Amino acid sequence: MGVSLVADQPKAAEHRWGMAIDLDRCTGCEACVVACHAENNLPVIEPAEAARGRTVHWIRVDRYYEGEFPDVKVKYMPVLCQHCDDAPCEPVCPVYATYHNPEGLNVQVYNRCVGTRYCANNCPYSVRFFNFFEPHWDSPLELQHNPDVAVRMVGVMEKCTFCVQRVQRGKRDAKEAGQPVADGAIQPACVQSCPAEAMVFGDLSDPESKVSRLAESGRATRLLEDLGVKPKVFYLQKAK
Amino acid sequence: MDRRNFFKIVSAASGGLVTGACGKRGEQLIPLLVADRDVVPGEESWQPAVCGECDAGCGVIVRVMRGERVIEVKGERLREPVACIKKVEGNPLDPVSGGRLCARGQAAVQGLYNPDRLRGPMRREGPKGQAVFRGIEWPEAVQVAVERLKRARERDPQGIVYLAGPQAGSRARNVRAFLEALGAPPPVTFSLADFPLERKAAETVHGWQGLPVYDLANARYVLGVGADFLGTWVNPVYYGRQYGHFRQGRDTVRGTLVQAESRLSITAQSADRWVPVTPGAEVFFLAALGKLLLDQSLARNAGVLPPAIAEGFRSLDLAAALKTCGVTEHRAREIAQELGRSEAPLVIAGTSEVHTNSLQALEAAGYLNVMLGNVGRPGGVLPPANDAANQRPAFTNVVPLIAKAQVLILDGVDPAYTLPAATGVRAALEKVETTISFGPFVNDSAAYADLLLPDHHTLEASAAVVPAVTPGSGVMVSTAFVQPLYTTRATEQVLADLAKAMEVEFQPIAARAVAQEIAGEGHAWDEIQQQGGFWAERQAEKAAPPKPAARGRAAAEPPRTLEVSAASFAGDAAQFPFHFQPYLSVQHLDGRGANLPWMQEMPDPTSSAMWGLPVEIDTQTAGKLGIKNGDLVRVESAHGRLDAPAYVHPGAMPGVLSMPIGSGHQHYGRYAGRGANPLAILAPVWESTTGALALGATRVRLAKLGPEKQLIQFAPIDREHGPWGYR
Amino acid sequence: MKSNMATTVHTLPHDRLQEDVWRPLRETSTRYVITVLLVGAVALWGLFCWGYQIHKGIGVVGKNRPSMWAFYILNFVFWIGISHAGTLISAILRLTHAGWRKPVTRAAEAITVFCLMIGGLFPIIHLGRPWIFYYLIPYPNQRVLWPNFRSPLVWDLTAILTYLTGSVLFLYLPMIPDLAQLALHTTGWRRFLYRTLALGWTGSDREWHALERAMKLMAGLILAVAVSVHTVVAWDFAMAIAPLWHSTIFGPYFVVGAIFSGIAALLLIMAVIRKFMNLEAYLEPRHFENLSRLLFLMCLLWLYFTVSENLTAWYGNQPHEMQVFGTRVRGQYAPWFWLMVVCNFIVPFVLLGIRRLRNITTISISSVCVLIGMWLERFLIVFPTLAHPPLAAAWTTGYNPTWVEISIAVSTFAAMALLYLIFSKLFPIIAVWEYRYVPDE
Repeated sequence: MGVSLVADQPKAAEHRWGMAIDLDRCTGCEACVVACHAENNLPVIEPAEAARGRTVHWIRVDRYYEGEFPDVKVKYMPVLCQHCDDAPCEPVCPVYATYHNPEGLNVQVYNRCVGTRYCANNCPYSVRFFNFFEPHWDSPLELQHNPDVAVRMVGVMEKCTFCVQRVQRGKRDAKEAGQPVADGAIQPACVQSCPAEAMVFGDLSDPESKVSRLAESGRATRLLEDLGVKPKVFYLQKAK
Repeated sequence: MDRRNFFKIVSAASGGLVTGACGKRGEQLIPLLVADRDVVPGEESWQPAVCGECDAGCGVIVRVMRGERVIEVKGERLREPVACIKKVEGNPLDPVSGGRLCARGQAAVQGLYNPDRLRGPMRREGPKGQAVFRGIEWPEAVQVAVERLKRARERDPQGIVYLAGPQAGSRARNVRAFLEALGAPPPVTFSLADFPLERKAAETVHGWQGLPVYDLANARYVLGVGADFLGTWVNPVYYGRQYGHFRQGRDTVRGTLVQAESRLSITAQSADRWVPVTPGAEVFFLAALGKLLLDQSLARNAGVLPPAIAEGFRSLDLAAALKTCGVTEHRAREIAQELGRSEAPLVIAGTSEVHTNSLQALEAAGYLNVMLGNVGRPGGVLPPANDAANQRPAFTNVVPLIAKAQVLILDGVDPAYTLPAATGVRAALEKVETTISFGPFVNDSAAYADLLLPDHHTLEASAAVVPAVTPGSGVMVSTAFVQPLYTTRATEQVLADLAKAMEVEFQPIAARAVAQEIAGEGHAWDEIQQQGGFWAERQAEKAAPPKPAARGRAAAEPPRTLEVSAASFAGDAAQFPFHFQPYLSVQHLDGRGANLPWMQEMPDPTSSAMWGLPVEIDTQTAGKLGIKNGDLVRVESAHGRLDAPAYVHPGAMPGVLSMPIGSGHQHYGRYAGRGANPLAILAPVWESTTGALALGATRVRLAKLGPEKQLIQFAPIDREHGPWGYR
Repeated sequence: MKSNMATTVHTLPHDRLQEDVWRPLRETSTRYVITVLLVGAVALWGLFCWGYQIHKGIGVVGKNRPSMWAFYILNFVFWIGISHAGTLISAILRLTHAGWRKPVTRAAEAITVFCLMIGGLFPIIHLGRPWIFYYLIPYPNQRVLWPNFRSPLVWDLTAILTYLTGSVLFLYLPMIPDLAQLALHTTGWRRFLYRTLALGWTGSDREWHALERAMKLMAGLILAVAVSVHTVVAWDFAMAIAPLWHSTIFGPYFVVGAIFSGIAALLLIMAVIRKFMNLEAYLEPRHFENLSRLLFLMCLLWLYFTVSENLTAWYGNQPHEMQVFGTRVRGQYAPWFWLMVVCNFIVPFVLLGIRRLRNITTISISSVCVLIGMWLERFLIVFPTLAHPPLAAAWTTGYNPTWVEISIAVSTFAAMALLYLIFSKLFPIIAVWEYRYVPDE
């Protein structure tokens, strides 16, 4: 692999957050899926709506079967917002509701969103979700809501934020302690939960960070690499 | 994360957050005026607790913040500040969970705030099984319970039957002591997720009490047989963590996993190679491997094997055995070679699918590990850390007990759902004179209860739990750190109330006492409490050279022989051509997670189904019967039938229908209703030694009903490329 | 047909023409009232459905992930396409001094205006939060937030608003002499209306010259705007990196499709007006004949573009594109695809291409087919692509429109009819003055 996957972006901000997902460790247990629900106040979509394809999972585990019985292989791949450097969802939003923050996070400004859903069309990874109805929680389930994360209203898009609230908290804690953000100190909910430790989150602008080293390893690939959208999630392929 | 960095847990647990259940009206008003002292708006605190979603007993930490709930006082709606639980994560100090947690554990908080949770004691109003109840006050509830218990005790104390969850720890101890005081028989348990066979096999092969610990992380070549250890076996969090290390945690070594199973389980999906084995024929496969290892002198520790066992392996008819289990000789030889040549081989056998001969398979696997010389070694089988057997309720087939019970107490079990309809469990529940349920929900069994005495949710309760699998001896503790949401009452407290009213000698044993007893001297309670438990050093690291346990036992007892016999199945093969394998689901386990909306909408890892689980049908059978994905099918055994959507599974064994357990509750709240219960149609076949239900012993037939699309899938496509993408 | 030729407009005295054209403005038949009430009721039902959708949430429609755009966008493209009927055709004909256009122009220009009004509503109906649609409009605000000018949707909004403004002017300017004339012959509120709208037109030479210059300028400008509008609509799709959307051919392809469907709509409306407003003498078979030749030409052009689009996709054989291509040509959408080919090519090619078969009835049949075919074409552009994003795990079982979407779509046809009925009751549907005034060239 001659071309560096990491260093092809100018370093603008102090951090450039990225993730590495080791497909060799991933068992497809979906702990990450539920962790994300708990952290980010994702709405529960009732069965009738789920049947219409409206379930919201900011992170999902794609599973593909390969081959025929008995030589069947299964490929699991957790797919979340890839936080592309050249995110195709961003330029098409007419009201700047999708926005690239200085640290490379692709963030959604809910208040600004008018719901054209163009961003969802232009996302090759299909990781953008829409609030078809005002979200509802059967009381008292709403007591569980994370106060750090807004509940999204009807008519707006939403998507994985790399747990931006955890990123901010981690930076604040480091600042209060008067120290730089330690590698691994910030963990999005999915990364935190993963039993097999298949997911690693960190600063890609720090060449010594674990995620940078994994991203530079020979096993790293990016999803739909040929589209050239420069995703910041690196998939480490299974290898002998 | 180490202990120094573990700043999340504050010592607030000992503070004033704990407020007992409010008894009088006047007391109820006080929280409206005075907020909980230790909950500061906007500030989070992390409290240690024990996960109660399955019996593994993972240590967790819980994020507590201030919230507000709306309550009604004399017709007026008021906002009451309460300490709310926001998130459950693994406890980083706990060597079992290591700071990680499975999907079900994280959804525990939805059990706590479930809209269908019981809010106080209730009494039956309608006919049994209809779940019509009327709210009552605690004094009345206790009084009724006392009356019934007294009556039963006077007649025959043996008529008091207590069905408890299988967890070891403070609850089990209290229940045992209470029943002892009453003169009633000790508590018994029945669970699909207790794995009594694994315990039994560990006892017969190694002389161990408890579940053996497999050091997957340090193994190099692992053969899994029938144990879905990454999915729903004894502790998927623990083995999931180990698996990550096994694959990519070592610089130069990547472990190889071969999984032999009659279903493409999560573990089989992750494996480098899946070896489909005919259902119930695992023992033939294992015995064949043993023979190959011995014959080719690949077993480095063959000498340790009891001679009768070695002779048993050697005298096996290899060709016949391989034919029975459906594995080619080439493949079997290959696996035997790989096992024998690996530096750290390991066989992990389990009963994710129980058959009548499963104990034979587990024993054979145990002897394989013995002859591979990995017992007690890093990367091998390690002895259970806790000699906790005496603290656990005994596992047994509970149907006859229910049938003769006068007072039946349900605590953490749901026999009406988990037992086949053919056992007559529902009729037996209907006949029981008095049924008392301690669970925080009305499930299928509690629907038959006369009295509901709801316990706190595990996240509100205080408990000491001995984990089912742990690398070193340990205990998890949870102290009540939030005020209970409702007028529920800790079951230990209720038992004490009952004992007091019945004038029997019973003092509830506090979690603290249990924890300190296990931790031993020199460990301060404050420390245990703040850490969420006590854990001894890892045993693997300081493990002594392997003690030839098997030989020791062999000397003491008459030599055992290797038993290899076919499993028996209920149902005529001509009339019922298919094997039927209900299995513990990642989402709902044995059905107990079905009331959690997050678990309902979590796509099934196999079929991507949400809100109701399908029957998995192989492509050949589906093609023959014209079944398409999502069609409604009827699965019929000699003992019942179910209608469920079909999932045409590219990796299912032809002739084997599998179905995850968890759908089809008749009661259990608004989220659990959809789908069908695969357990209901099983034949009442039991594993004879332990009384475990033989999950896979029923034969069925299959018919297509129609194209009704009941199947809800998150991702209906299971191939990476569509039909037109690549040609 | 021959019998009609005896009483063409050129042989009639001008008063007779004025009389015939103005008659509908004075007399209202019961049939008219019933029709207005009927289409009015349907249009109101559509409004109710929209209100229901806003009240309940956009989820009452059938969209899902990944089919985030569906019926509304399809109808948007369809209506914007038809809108090209008018202005574009009348502008071309005006610029090329095609004298036969005279009885057709106003009918065509009215189509444009109403189609744009209806089509332009669809993107707003489609929004998740339509009450803040004005976030798309660049206006000074205290948040100093502008719309994102990089977004094709902002281009779209700009293009459509420009086109609407231009089309209204294009319809209105040549109506001024007629309005002035009408003001002289009416009383009451009508007189007030016509006088106000006539802007004090006196009929002086200077005014005639100004009007002529304005119309020439407008005709040139509106052509450019019309082409750009549908190109921008095409870019809404083509700028996305979705399979089979991301194509350079989409701009001209959409323009051709728009003109194609526009002519069909114009022919159909002409046939209807001719029959129900008794204008056989003015809308002559030769008008139909000439326009149908244009339709035939567009039919061939459409075929050319469709073949180009699909051949390159097929030849390129890229997996993500082939998936969409496959579902369209051979898979679940294939019946619609081949129906589209029949409607858009085979039927008009046979009926219009063979002279013996060509008459007003067959032309009308062809037009209906083309309208159906072009609607299907938009359907085939929007759905298969969105339902098959690059990652197969995101595919769902499909999209089904709900009663809300169907109601709104149907009601827009009623709204179109209603607007047209009201227009024809208020304004002369044929430009009377154009017959009298022949500009000096």
